[in-house]
Formats: sequence, C-alpha cells, structure tokens
Amino acid sequence: MDFFLFVEGPLLWISFLTFIIGSILRVVLFVSVSRKKDTIIYQYVRWKYFFSTLGRWLLPLNKDVAKNPLFTIMGYIFHICLIVVPVWFSGHISLWEESRLEWAWTPMPDRLADWMTLIFLAIALFFLLRRIISADIRLLSTFSDYLLIVVVALPFVTGYFLTHGTVDTIGFLGDNIQVIHMLSGEVMLILIPFTKLSHFVLFFFSRGATAFEFGRRGYSI
Amino acid sequence: MSKSANAKMTEQVNAIETREIDAKEIITFLKSKMPARFKMWLNICASCGLCADTCHYYLSSGKDPQMIPAHKVRFLKEILKKKGKVDRSFLQKVYNTVYHECNMCRRCTLYCPFGIDIAQMISLLRSLLLSQGIAPEGLLATVKNYNEFGNQMAISKEDWVDTVEWCEEETADELVGLKIPIDKKGAKILYTVNAREPKFYPQDIMEVAQIFHVAGEDYTLCSEDGWDGTNLAMFCGDAKTARLMVENTFKRADELEVQQVAVTECGHAYRALRFEAPAWLGYTPKQEVVHSVELFHDYIRDGRIKLKDKIKEPTTVQDPCNVIRNGGLAEKNRRLAEFLSEDFRPMKYQGNYNYCCGGGGGALPMGGEMKKYRLVSGKIKAEQIRETGAKIVFVPCHNCIDQIRDLSKEYDLGIKAIHFKEAITEHMEIPEHMIPKEDED
Repeated sequence: MDFFLFVEGPLLWISFLTFIIGSILRVVLFVSVSRKKDTIIYQYVRWKYFFSTLGRWLLPLNKDVAKNPLFTIMGYIFHICLIVVPVWFSGHISLWEESRLEWAWTPMPDRLADWMTLIFLAIALFFLLRRIISADIRLLSTFSDYLLIVVVALPFVTGYFLTHGTVDTIGFLGDNIQVIHMLSGEVMLILIPFTKLSHFVLFFFSRGATAFEFGRRGYSI
Repeated sequence: MSKSANAKMTEQVNAIETREIDAKEIITFLKSKMPARFKMWLNICASCGLCADTCHYYLSSGKDPQMIPAHKVRFLKEILKKKGKVDRSFLQKVYNTVYHECNMCRRCTLYCPFGIDIAQMISLLRSLLLSQGIAPEGLLATVKNYNEFGNQMAISKEDWVDTVEWCEEETADELVGLKIPIDKKGAKILYTVNAREPKFYPQDIMEVAQIFHVAGEDYTLCSEDGWDGTNLAMFCGDAKTARLMVENTFKRADELEVQQVAVTECGHAYRALRFEAPAWLGYTPKQEVVHSVELFHDYIRDGRIKLKDKIKEPTTVQDPCNVIRNGGLAEKNRRLAEFLSEDFRPMKYQGNYNYCCGGGGGALPMGGEMKKYRLVSGKIKAEQIRETGAKIVFVPCHNCIDQIRDLSKEYDLGIKAIHFKEAITEHMEIPEHMIPKEDED
C-alpha cells in the first residue's frame, strides 16, 4: 500500500481508536484501582464541590489567574485554540462530510482559524522558550515536557502550511505537506493516552479528589 | 538551602537502624500504601511551575528552584522507577527534602491547576523512610513517650491529675465556684490538652477552666490515656502510634458518654482527631470534634461570654495550617480576633490561602536539627506580620506560637504572640456571682 493511502486510511483509524479507546481505558483503569485504594476520597464525595472546582478552573476564576495573570490567560487561550481549530476548521469538516460517516457541522470562518492557529503557535513558542530559559522550569522539565510542546505544535504549523501553500515550492516538503500534516496529527492523537497529555481526561478526577478533600473543610477550591 | 543540606548528610544521626535498605520491602510498602491518585498525579504533573511561588520555602530562600513543590516530590517517582533499589545515601537526600524543605502545609495544592496534593505525597515518603528505620530523633522520642506513657511529655497519670487539681486550686481564688471536672460521665464535651500544657504552661489549663466556667460549659477532662490530644506520630508517618492516640481519646469519649471532643489551641491535634482519625480507625467516631477557636468564637457571638473591653494595641491573627486551610475555621478565627480587638489588622492572604509560618509538620518537635531551616522558611511569615504593623499576634496553635515567637526574635518584629485564651480571660466580664467577695468583718 502506498504510504499516503496508509496515512489517510488505516493509520487514521488506528490513531483515532488509540486516542479514544486509550483515553477511555486510562479512565477505567484509574477508577477501578482508585475505588480500592482511594477509599477515603469516595467517602466524602459531595458534588457541589466537584462542580464548583470545575467552574473555577475551566474558567479563569481561580487564584492562579490572580497570581500569574499573563501566563494563565495564555494557557486558557492555548487550550481554546487547541480544541476549537481542529474541530471547527472548514477543511476538516469537509473531510468528515466526505467520509463514510457523512457528519457535517457549521465551520468557523477560515480567517478566524488562521488567526487562532498563529496565536496558538506564538503561545506554544513562548511555552517552549520559557521551558528552555527559565531555571525554575528547566529543573522540573523532562525530555517529554519539551517534546510534547513540539508534538502538539506540529499539526498546527503543518496545517497552516498546507492551507496557505507556504512550503509548496520547497521540494520534499512541498510535495508531501499533506501527508506530513496528517501524520503529525496522528502522532499527537496516539501519544495522548500514554503521556501527560492524558490530563485532558484525568484533570476531572484529579480536581475532583482535591475538591472533595477541601470540601470536608467546608470550602470550595 | 538544599546544597548545604546535602553537604551535611554526614551530620545526620537519624537512622534508628543500620540494616540494609530492602528494595523489595520498599516496593511492597508503596504498592500497598500508595493511593491510585498519587500515581496519577505523578504522571500528569505538567511541570508548569505554578506551585513555585506559593511555597514559603521557595520565597524565603530567594526563589531557589530546588524548593519548588513539584521538584521536592520527585523522589516518589524516582523510587518507583528504580523499583526500590536505592541506597542509604539516596534515602538521606529524601530525608533532607521531606523533613527540612517541607511542612506539608498544602498551600501549593490550592494553586496547582490539577489540585495535586504534594503534601500527602511528602507524608507518604516520610512513612516510607520510617519503614526503613529513618526518622528525626526528636519525633521518635515523642513516639516512644506516646507508646510508654500515652502522651508526648512522658507525664504519669498521677502527675497529670495532680497538675489539674493544682490548677483548680490556683484558680479557685479568682472565680467563685470554679471546678475542673475530671472523668465526669455524661458531660457534653471531653476537652483534650496539648501535653506541654501540664508540663510547661499550666496557665493554659487555668485559663480555659476560667473561660468554660464563665461560659457555663458542661465539660470534663479525662484521667486515663487520651487526655493528650496531640499526635506527633503522624508527622513521621507512624500510622500505628497515630491510631493509638486517637483510639485512646475516642475510647474515653465513649466511656464518658460525651457528645463532643474538644481540642485546645493546637493545630495538628484538631487535624488528627477530626480529619485523619476516620482513616486510621477505619470508622468515623460518633463524637463531633471541635477546636477551641470555634468554642470561644461561639461563646462570644452568643453572649455566653461578654467582653468588658478589647485590646487597644493593633493586632493580627495567625492562620495555623491545620486549623484553617486544613481545618476549615478561617472565618471564626478571624472574627474571634476581631471581637477581641479595637484595631485588628488582617495579614495579606488572611484565611485559607495564608502562608505557613514554617513551624508545622513536626518542625518544632524536631528540635535543634530543624531550627536553622525553619528560621529561614519563616521569613515570609515574619514579613507578613511586620507589614500589618500589629503589636499582638493571636496564635491558636502551640507549634505556630513557638515559631512566631522565634521569628519575632530572629527578624526583630517586636510583637507579642498569645493564645486566644490569654486575651479572653484578660478581657472577659466576670459575672457578679463569680467575683470573690471580700471578707467582711
């Protein structure tokens, strides 16, 4: 099978399935061990504290925003762009429409997608530079911390190049930018369940546990 | 701070045994004791660094990156990765961090976007060290006393009861009808003290007796083991002794058929009896646990104690981590301070997000070994106090009060640190019938 056909066919399936099933498994495995070994937390479940903490942290309504406003707001914008662009970009929706699933939904304006991509990349670059330059953050960082910024940024860089023809004249890149873009997205999807990127699902359990712990003290965090 | 701590590895005399480190035992220990959420936390920490400037060690050290909470907890991940195959010098490094670089105050947890509980993981590491025979001498000495005498100060039952009776005699002159009940069955409250009160600060017992008398409280002390509410064993991860201590107190509470167990102005005793006991005992005791701050606040709020005047000098109030952030009494603590003051000055971050003073997590009982570290880490608290311009600091915790008194000397704060009891007895109105009458000829 031609490499391109592999990337846009079986590998697409593999990456989505790995992402979806891997994430579900991550949650299921955690909960099953947690029910046995985190028993103290389950005794103090009070949903008002769960929803309150989600509200404070999914929205910029928490103490970190007061403490480090620039960094945290950048983090919020980063995550919004990360999720909105791949899901609502017209180019992606066309592909879903053409697929056997024939799903379609209203796309976002292309110019907005462009801007959000560039803003996302600027923030990703800032995160990477910060991780390299700041002595504090460097001490905390592992190879994976640096790599994952690049892994997450690549689909956006290559996607931008693809839609704007930026590298079309540059030999190998120009000829293969579509495959490279798809591959970069697939790599990211596959890595999500196996790395700290899994925080996209585990965040809810992590915040929940701590919200219940402080909920015992009568206040929401 | 950490570099010099590592250099002082040879100074530490804290191994109670010198046997070989048992890798299999370490892994078995972690497999059985490590909660699922700890492993999850170690995996999802994004190394974002938002925890850094929340920590008093980090700030007081001039922002030493070694003090970042996410960094201090690294050993748990490393030990798991090495499958427990670590040597004594590695564990010495762990010791230096978990005992000299953290009070387990949980302030960092409040700011972590994932709510990662670094303090609980540090506590697990302390337990792990203990399982390999490593713990601070000062804490081990109290554990020995808890097991032999039922209290941290090695006071015999006779001496305890004698001291209480002596306190009653001394205060009888000041308040008519004052009695300090011992082993009174059916009382509403079983009141527990910090064992250093009968040993060094009997005025604490006399003051609370006066407060209870004026408020008309139905309370009792107990003569048997359980009268000391403290639980220093939990600071070195000795779950067995920690459990014994709370078991004793609740056993007495059951025998005396009280409704509530009250705690003197002590932080960790409240935390142990109210929040940790259910996990150690495996069941939730039927008695409600209350802290002196709640009792005193409610007495004044409800008019059971009236104040004849208030403190005129500017005051502020410490938020002991185990009473406030980990105890839930932020509002009552502050309001009690306000009740007693004409000029109350809140600290920056007054309440749940206040800084640890550096005296918690066993730092004071560790003695000389810890002094230099806590005097540095307490710099932030010292500056907070200085900034308020207060002359008096209310401190409802025994460890905090020692630390804050030391900080006052170290940083020239010129403040007086007092328990609430002292202020309340000085400013409360004595009901007419309790004032001793002059002898009439």
